[in-house]
Amino acid sequence: MLAKGAKRKFSEHEDGVEGKMSCGNGPSKVSYTLQRQTIFNISLMKLYNQQPLMEPSLQRTVLINNMLRRIQEELKREGSLRPMFISPSQSSDTLNDNYREVQPAFNHLPVPPIQVTSLTSTTSPDSCLTPASVLEDDTFSSCQTIELSVCKSQNHSLKDSFSSALDEIEELCPSSTTADSKSCKSALNEGSSEKPDELQEGRSSETKFADTLPGNFEITTTGFLTDLTLDDILFADIDTSMYDFDPCTSTTGSSSKMTAVTADDILKTLSPYSNQSVTPSQPFKMDLAELDHIMEVLVGS
Amino acid sequence: MAGVGSGGNDIQWCFSQVKGAIDDDVAEDFLYGKVVYQKITNMEVKILDFGSHGLLQGFKWISKLMYWMNKLWLLVPWKVPVLLVLLVKGEMIEKPNKQNKSQPHCRGEYNVYSTFQSHEPEFDYLKSLEIEEKINKIRWLPQQNAAQFLLSTNDKTIKLWKISERDKRPEGYNLKEEDGRYRDPATVTTLKVPVFKPMDLMVEASPRRIFANAHTYHINSISVNSDYETYLSADDLRINLWHLEITDRSFNIVDIKPANMEELTEVITAAEFHPNQCNTFVYSSSKGTIRLCDMRAAALCDKHAKLFEEPEDPSNRSFFSEIISSISDVKFNHSGRYMMTRDYLSVKIWDLNMESRPVETYQVHEYLRSKLCSLYENDCIFDKFECCWNGCDSVVMTGSYNNFFRMFDRNTKRDITLEASRENSKPRAILKPRRVCSGGKRKKDEISVDSLDFNKKILHTAWHPKENIIAVATTNNLYIFQDKVN
Repeated sequence: MLAKGAKRKFSEHEDGVEGKMSCGNGPSKVSYTLQRQTIFNISLMKLYNQQPLMEPSLQRTVLINNMLRRIQEELKREGSLRPMFISPSQSSDTLNDNYREVQPAFNHLPVPPIQVTSLTSTTSPDSCLTPASVLEDDTFSSCQTIELSVCKSQNHSLKDSFSSALDEIEELCPSSTTADSKSCKSALNEGSSEKPDELQEGRSSETKFADTLPGNFEITTTGFLTDLTLDDILFADIDTSMYDFDPCTSTTGSSSKMTAVTADDILKTLSPYSNQSVTPSQPFKMDLAELDHIMEVLVGS
Repeated sequence: MAGVGSGGNDIQWCFSQVKGAIDDDVAEDFLYGKVVYQKITNMEVKILDFGSHGLLQGFKWISKLMYWMNKLWLLVPWKVPVLLVLLVKGEMIEKPNKQNKSQPHCRGEYNVYSTFQSHEPEFDYLKSLEIEEKINKIRWLPQQNAAQFLLSTNDKTIKLWKISERDKRPEGYNLKEEDGRYRDPATVTTLKVPVFKPMDLMVEASPRRIFANAHTYHINSISVNSDYETYLSADDLRINLWHLEITDRSFNIVDIKPANMEELTEVITAAEFHPNQCNTFVYSSSKGTIRLCDMRAAALCDKHAKLFEEPEDPSNRSFFSEIISSISDVKFNHSGRYMMTRDYLSVKIWDLNMESRPVETYQVHEYLRSKLCSLYENDCIFDKFECCWNGCDSVVMTGSYNNFFRMFDRNTKRDITLEASRENSKPRAILKPRRVCSGGKRKKDEISVDSLDFNKKILHTAWHPKENIIAVATTNNLYIFQDKVN
């Protein structure tokens, strides 16, 4: 019963970003979870809003990292994972059929370590929380500069990496069997698994993003923290673009509405980074056509 | 020395002096290579030349201050655009005490003695990062001749400065004019012996050693050994041992850097040599542990001789337990039997003979425990408060927020909260004890937790080694308080 309550808690928490509703085991547990999530978010913001020219204080960074690690451990111990987000290497009893079918399609991709709302245990060696760019000494000098350049170039390379990510997704659906693509669609049609599916795609696309920058992968994307940031950027951008980009909506008609809703759901399921500034980059808008195409395929309209 | 508190034999602290910008806003102009000095003799005070304002301007903020052991010195460095180290020297003015002739009334007047630039702004080319312009620590060396020596450090480099006075100059050279031009030897008809004539006091600071390139991470502590030949410098992950005469070599005595930096969970926060045993030093960590090491045991003191750690109180456990247990300062007492540590909410006194828990714990601002989440958000939880002992180790003092500072009397177990503010700064004004109410009904004169100003923090305090004179540094002011003597 506790597990069930915990699950419900999480789903409600995902839906309501600022989650004020009480549920499950009572307000104290919810507020504890809420506080934990808040602290988690604050910690992530702290790590990624560093002054660019000054070296960040190592003590502060280490303490924030430890905080994040502890929260992760706690969540892992609570066992409140959604079955979808357990990496394939871990066996899970509660996989639903759709997911089981969808998953093999993503098998060949490197398994994304962690998802934001439910922190899985990371079995992959890249599972460390610490952004190595901050702590790595050997590459300390190069890390800082690389991280800076990554931040700057992220916007520029966003187009390339994202289009390649989209290509990846595109490959998966047509290249897989008809059953798979059908299961993709059917999975999407179900409300509950729609989100994880999108997220799974986003996860894989983002891992692909990481892969396209091999140098950075070593340095900055070894932690789920960096994954989150990229995730945010990607999906945040999608969301805004969908709403702003008029030709998109006009050409795709009904499907655009569908995609807009989906993107919104995705954004909600992620941690509340609503205060993070979203800047849809110019080159990114050109990919909307491709995105549309993929959405069409997935939604099956 | 009397204890702390109000009434009876206890000390009543009263205002003595304040230095710094009048407003709390940061002053834009600053002292720049100008030597300002004054020598105070008994009963005589020379008027200093501070410029048109008559008050010292140009504090950006005070980063460190300390008293030196035997002399009446007060050293105040602060961060200005061109990093200055300011020496403030005072002498005791003895005035005859009308009521009690046997006890001379001593008042310390402190004035600017010298200013010099200690560290240049730097740029780390390897990492393409600026080295932050601030002086992290200063330590005096014991005086061996007429000059004073001090070590000052920024994030990366330690410098040894010699500060010397000159109050005489030679006059009457045979071959040189008074202004230094050489005379034509043909015009020299008589010989005379040059004599020393008194001149206005000039204080010179000259760099004697530069200890550089030994620290990858930010230096947080330096400590001079009791052998007066060596000193240690500690950064986040390593502690190095230097000889004062040798700048191109240092010995690494502690290294807690893990092989894989991603496994790093603990850093060094402070380190200090034992005041009497030249082989012993302690270092504190961000996890609230203090390790005592003996340099005789091994060249690399990774294995501690003693580990001081208090078990966590389960009733006070929170998300922030680790962060608030991080020790920001370690200070041995004068005898070396005890050491004091400052973590975010408390001051703890440890007996070196007992590792399991501190012998005394004093809560500095327990009312902040319920506010830890907000303090985490605005980074105040990472503030590094210092602490200090008084001359006879009976009272300890540390700073807090809202320009409050706290003193704890170890004998009477009483404590007091005082405020350093311009409003209380009338001459000889007695400081009133302050109280913070954490909740419920707020009594008169109490201040509620929510109206505390967390930008006004007192990180540095210092206590005169012999007298009841304290110096308290707010963000950009220096306050000197003294006990009230009738």
